[in-house]
Formats: sequence, structure tokens, C-alpha cells
Amino acid sequence: MTSLKIFIVARALALIPTILILITLVFFIMRVLPGDPVIAIVGMKAPMERVMELRRELGLIDENGNEIPLVTQYFNYLSKLIQGDFGRSLIWGKRPVLVEIMEHLPATIELAIAGFLVSIILGVSLGVMGAGRGGKTNNAVRVYSAVTYALFIPWIGMMFQLVFSVWLKILPVGGRIGVGLEPPTYTGLYILDSLISNRLDSLISSLRHITLPAITLGLVISGVFSRITRTSVEEVLRQDFVVAARARGLPEYKIMMHVLKNSFIPILTMMGLQLALLMTGAVLTETTFSWPGMGTFLLERIQYRDYTTVQGTVVFFALIVALVNLIVDVFYAYIDPRIRY
Amino acid sequence: MSDMLLEVGNLKTYYFTHGSVIKAVDDVSLEIYKREMVGLVGESGSGKSTLGLSIIRLVPPPGKVVDGKIIIDGEDLLKLRDKELRRIRGKKIGMIFQDPLTCLDPLRRVGDQIIESITSHIKVDKETAREMALKVFERVGISPERIDDYPHQLSGGMRQRAMIAMAVVLNPKLLIADEPTTALDVVVQSRIMDLLEDLKNERKMSILLITHDLALVIERCDRVVIMYAGKVCEIGSVEEISNEPLHPYTKLLIESIPNVEKTQMELKPIPGTPPDMRNPPLGCRFWPRCPYALDKCRSVEPRILETDNRVVLCHLYGG
Amino acid sequence: MYTFKPILTKIIPKMPLKTMGIVGLIMIISVVLMAILADFLTPYDPTKSVGLSLQPPSLNHPFGTNKIGQDMWSRIVYGARTILLVVALSTIMSIVIGVPLGLISGYVGGILDRILTMIMDAIYAFPSLILAIAIAAALGPGIVNTAVSIAIVYVPTYFRMVRGQTLNVKSQLYVEAAVAIGASPLSILARYILPNVVSIVVAVFTLSVADVVLTEAGLSFFGLSVPAPTPDWGFDLRAGHPYLVSGYWWLVTFPGLMIIILAVGFTFLGESISEYLGLREVRA
Repeated sequence: MTSLKIFIVARALALIPTILILITLVFFIMRVLPGDPVIAIVGMKAPMERVMELRRELGLIDENGNEIPLVTQYFNYLSKLIQGDFGRSLIWGKRPVLVEIMEHLPATIELAIAGFLVSIILGVSLGVMGAGRGGKTNNAVRVYSAVTYALFIPWIGMMFQLVFSVWLKILPVGGRIGVGLEPPTYTGLYILDSLISNRLDSLISSLRHITLPAITLGLVISGVFSRITRTSVEEVLRQDFVVAARARGLPEYKIMMHVLKNSFIPILTMMGLQLALLMTGAVLTETTFSWPGMGTFLLERIQYRDYTTVQGTVVFFALIVALVNLIVDVFYAYIDPRIRY
Repeated sequence: MSDMLLEVGNLKTYYFTHGSVIKAVDDVSLEIYKREMVGLVGESGSGKSTLGLSIIRLVPPPGKVVDGKIIIDGEDLLKLRDKELRRIRGKKIGMIFQDPLTCLDPLRRVGDQIIESITSHIKVDKETAREMALKVFERVGISPERIDDYPHQLSGGMRQRAMIAMAVVLNPKLLIADEPTTALDVVVQSRIMDLLEDLKNERKMSILLITHDLALVIERCDRVVIMYAGKVCEIGSVEEISNEPLHPYTKLLIESIPNVEKTQMELKPIPGTPPDMRNPPLGCRFWPRCPYALDKCRSVEPRILETDNRVVLCHLYGG
Repeated sequence: MYTFKPILTKIIPKMPLKTMGIVGLIMIISVVLMAILADFLTPYDPTKSVGLSLQPPSLNHPFGTNKIGQDMWSRIVYGARTILLVVALSTIMSIVIGVPLGLISGYVGGILDRILTMIMDAIYAFPSLILAIAIAAALGPGIVNTAVSIAIVYVPTYFRMVRGQTLNVKSQLYVEAAVAIGASPLSILARYILPNVVSIVVAVFTLSVADVVLTEAGLSFFGLSVPAPTPDWGFDLRAGHPYLVSGYWWLVTFPGLMIIILAVGFTFLGESISEYLGLREVRA
């Protein structure tokens, strides 16, 4: 398996430039603001001391009050990042950004996983059904993926809320769990934690709360997945070994397994690339359903002009994207022995 | 007639594409007897591959078998449903293809693929299946430790042997081989053909060898079926065909075989190109390229003439 | 029997695609007309309070009124202008920046190409909305600023496709011949590469415009687009959300529906055009 290890290392190294570029981009965007961020935070009439203090916080000036050149600021920021210091919040008593991110991350992860599952179930089954059939089913799947992709998440979420929470009153309108029902923390994922600690009430409440957001997110993303699945499966079905396998008299379900396993790889790669889509969707879903995750967190901090936190969060997102791409590549190589170096 | 293994009667397989119909196999009848190797010869587009796929009922869409009968062991394959067909594929009729690399699942070891074939048809446990696989691997000439390799780790010749192994492991009565040696070099080709011949004799199996190479057929087969543009032109034994070809197409094919012994150094390809199968010529389909074409040939389709196992489709013989 | 089948297999598969394109076109044109004819479609000023607060749809106010008493129909109709303006502006910017960069990068190659490609790939891999949010938050509200934020996010899309096409054309024999004769790079770019690039730009446009619409909607949903009184569908969606629980459904249904009509319209059109041109995998 050493060829796999080499592959992992090589791919990880290749990621570094990408991450660097994104961090740089975010840094310069934040720094090149028109107007003075400090004034924006504290207002025009703030005492000089407060202004100086903030300036120090933001890393604009050093202890002696001298302006730090932009390039030096950049390298300072970079070196802090490497040590795991994402900066500190400008508002909530200088809490480290990383800590705050970690508090909100599990909620987003839980939602993302749930939405992902829904979209896979919907998307892959539709894609498989539509594959290899001509004409009408083909176009039906096409129309489906076109429409679902264009559904603005907040709106569809709100429509669901309208129907199921306001008119039918069978599901909660927002939030992650009923008041006081949080399970003890093991993983931070309420559903898992409820299962681990055997708390039925928490489990039911978290499941009820996650239903609408997950379906909203999953529905919108399933369109893309269904198209990806359909094209991949069709590609594979066209290959000769399917005919050869049928010629050997293998039962249809075994052939479908072969087909799926072979189309798994392109499907997975493309899904990994859709992570960006998933994250965007998650952010929109969270704000619609008052889901206390990264999306709501980001929005809140933007409104409070907590620039360091916003910057740190965006950088964090970049890291996640890079990491997931790496994992997808590695998984890809694991499944397909031809890919390794 | 108790020697007959497979009877194909008036088979028609058409491809229905956007706006046109391609009559790939148009009213073909032939017989395959037990323990014989029959060569099915034709240019590309002649319908020979489609015929092979039709027999095993794997014609890809938009193709469809439209008419006719295919009888093996008293069963008409065209009347069977998918489940029953699956029983026959692999066990009674096997098929191997031209390019073994694309025909084997690249993600699984070859041994596992054979074992899967075995267990899909007969109830044996994994160890027995594996032993059967090892044995057949040995028989086709692959060293047993390669059983756990992936397809891309084997050479071209070995892959073809692996495919043959998979096809014959359950002792089918008929093996359809679609251009099995076209992608291999001459030396390997010869060995593979040796293997097929040996298997035919050992296992009392018949082989339908689909190829464009008439010379190969004359060298190895018992009987020959010549196809052109979806129709059977001529059927006969290898001696009859090579010494006394009846159909003009056959004659031209024989003449075009390069012969090192003869002093002529020129290659004699057949002039002209195969017809567009969406709009084949009226009358006899071969007339545009036929040196003996009569007026009749341009408008009237010839009828099949049969005399004790000799079949010919040509006006010259009163058809 | 054989004459039926060709009709069935030939016309019907193509039909939904063409229908899709036509339906999409109708949707888009409706919204554009709405924007142009806004003054004629409603007597009210969308930024002023013209009715009682929170009225359900009625004859006077077909889409009801919001909390401040603004007429929702007017806000929808004038909101079309906002969103179309932002989308148009940002697309133009993306093209003006992305296309030349793609051309140069593809044609010149070398280190410049590699650096540019790395940068563009990095941006491309990042979630579009989140990046747009970061930029928009930094730049502040306003039509131009919003357009810039979105433009930056979509530059890589145009860049990649144009660069790819440039590389393609560059390797063609007739271009090599022109170079051999001594034609200047500028004339080669203009005469050979540019015409080929135009069709690809159109293709990229049709497929990514829906995305741009959704990103703009996302930005305005987060309040990062245009400042308050200006009618903006995403903003209204957000503003009306808190009232949903109390059953005031018309505040969110119509703005959101309009966003979807525009996005779906572009998607349908894009799908059918890309099929017509024979392209795949051009997703933003």
C-alpha cells in the first residue's frame, strides 16, 4: 500500500499553493477596505485610546504605535495561522476565532451530512433510473435537475416552513432542538449524541428539527447529483465489460453492482467537487431555519462588523474545501488501483 | 440431424435509429452442428457481430431482433424471457470478445470474476469455485498465481486466455468468439487458436468464430459462412469453399488472400466499398461490386439455394 | 409500423429540449419586460409607504403590502430592475476581465499561465456565495460594489473556458502556419482565436447566468446587496421571513418565486443552448 501513501503525500503538497492563494486573497480583500474598519466598528467619536487599541488588535500597528507595512502584516498573519491562531473576535471579549468556529461547526456538519444523504438518495436513484433509458425519462431527469438547482434555498425552505410548520403545524419552524433537550456532548452531533446517551427525547426532537432543513438542502443539491449519476452510469453501461458480463449470464443485480462500483468513482469525484455547492447551500439553509451553525455565525459576525472573525471563518472554509478535495482524491485512489503513482 | 446443435432460421435483427432502420441481419439462416468450428466471415458492417450478439440475445439498443427463430436443444431463444436467457448465457452458450481489456471489470481481480460466473450458475461454495477457476486457468495456460491479478496487470494474450477461461469454465456447448484474435500479434494468435481447437475437441464444444479473416477460417475451421450486407452469401465446408467457391463475393475473397507460394506479388483487394446499410441496393446487395452481375441482379433479390449443406444466394445459380 | 417508430424516436426526444429553451426564454423576457415597463405596470412608488401595513393580496395591492406599508407588487416589478442590473453589470465585468486574461494566459503560456491558472483554480474551487459574501462585506452596499463582488467570483469560470479554447485553437495547424509566416500575436489572436472564443463565451454565459442570479439573491438575502429602500427581491425575502410564522405568506412567496422564475428561465435556456452547441461540463 505504499504507493497509496506516496499518493496522499503528493496530493497534500499540491494543495498548499491553493490554500495559500485563498488566504492571501481573503487577507487583501479585508485589508483593502475603503474606509477605516476601525471607525466602522467603534464610530467616529471613539476615544483615541480605544482606536489605538483596536488598531493593535487588528495588527495594523505595533506596540509602539508605528504603522506596520502591509507585507509584514501579511506574514504576521500567515505565521499566526500556521500556529493555529485564527485571530480573535473583536466583539465577544477577544475569544479566539478558532474556538468560536469549533463551537458552531458540529451543527453545520450535522446539517451537511443530513442534506448530503437526502441528496444522494434522491439524486442517485433518479440518476440510475434515468440512465440508459432513452427519450422521456432522460428528459424528465434533465428537467428535474434544472429546476431543483435553480430553487433558491431560502424560498423553498420558507415554503416548507409555511406548509409544514405554519399551516400543518407538524414540524418545528426552526432551531436545532427543543429547549433544554440537548444531549450530553460526545461528538457535537445531536443525533449521534442522543443515540450514544440513549436519550429518546433528544433524538426525536433533533430528528424533527433537522427534517425540513435537510430536505430543503438535499432537494436542491439532488438535481446536480442526479445529472452526474446519470451521465456516469450511462458512460459505464456503454462499456464492453457490461456486455461481456451479461454474456456470462450474470444476474442483473450483480451487473448493476459492477456498474455502480465502476461509476462510483466519477460520481464521487464530482460530488467532492460539489462540496462548494453543499457549503453554499448549508449557509443559506442555516439562516432560513435559524440553524445555529457556521452560516448563521458568519452572517451574524458580518452584521456586527467583526472583521477578524469573518476573515478567520472564510479562511477556515478554504481549508475545509482543500481538505475534502484531498480526501476525495485519496478515496478515489483507494478504490481504483490504476490511479496510484 | 441429431448432430445439430444450433439452428438459426430467418433471423432479422434491425437497428432503429433516429429516422432510419439499419437491417444489420436480414433473413439469415444457418446451422451449427456439434463439435465443429464454424467460421463466420464478413467485412465490417456485414452484420456478423450482430448475428453473434443476436444468438446470445445481447443486441444493444436501438437494435432489436425482429423476426426468426434460434433453436438450441429444442428451445427457441427468441421466445425465452430474461431469466431463462440468463440461465443459458455462460452455461450453454458462452461468448468471448475482441478486446479483453475492456471486457473485464477493471476494478476486480480476474479470479474473483471467474468465481462470480461460476457461483451465478451452479450452487457451489467459494472454495470449490476457486478450485474450478484454478483448474481452468491452468487449462488455458495461465499460471495459477495470476488468479489474483487485476486485468491491467496481465498481457494481452493472457487477458484473452482469461476471458476464454471465464467463458468455458462451465462447459458451454457453443462458444461464440467475436474476433478473438484480431487485437493480438500473429504468434499469440496462433496459440490462442490452438487453445480454442483443443478445447473444442476436449469438451465437445462447438465454436462460432466470427472474423473478417477468411485465411484464418480456412486454416482452422470445419465449415464457413460468408456474410455480406446483412445476408448470407454462401455456406459450405472449408474444402468446398476454398476449392470451389460459388458466390462471386467468395471468389473475390479467396483471391484476395495473400499467398506466399503463388508467384503473384500483387494484393488483390475487392474493389468498391460495402453498402450504406440504411439504404442497401435493390436486388442483390452485392451487385455494385460484382464482376458477374446480370441485369436481373439490379432489381430482383436472389433466393436461397440449398443442396446438401451447401447454400448460396446468387442469381448465377438459378436463385 | 416502421414509419411510426422514426417519428416517435426522432421528434419526441428533441421536443422537451426545445420546449425547455422556449419556456426559459419566455420566463426571461417576462422579467425583462417587467423591468422595462415598471412604470406602466404599477402606480405606486415601491420605496414609499402607500398602504396599510401587512395587508393580504387584494385588488388594490395584488401582492399585498409589507410591514412598512409598501406595495409588494411594485417592489417586485421594480426589483426586477435591481437584479437584472446587478446581474448584467457583474457579467460584463467578469467577461471583460476573464476573457482577455484567458486569451493571454492560454496564448502566452509559460509561468504567467501557470500562476494565473493556479489563482483562478483556487477561486473556482471555493464556494461562490461565501467568497462573494466576504468581498461584499468588505466593499459595502451598492449596486456597483455588489456587481464587483459577484464578478470576481465568476471571472475564473470565463477564464478557464476561454483559456481552454485558446489552447485548442492555438494547437491547430492553421495557426502554426500563420505564426510561421510571421503574423503578429495580436493579429493571430484577433483573426483566429477570437471568433472561436466568442461561441464559448456565449455558452459559458448561458450556463452560469443562473448561478449569478442565485448568488445575487443570496447576497441580497444577507443584506449585502443594495441599501434598504431600493426594491430587491432577496432583501424582501429576508425582510418578510420573520412574519411567516404568523401566517403572512405573501411577503416571501412572491419575491422568492420571481427569483426562481429568473433562475429557472436562465437554466432552461442554458441547457437547451448547450445541448444545441454540443457542450457539456460547463457548470459554474
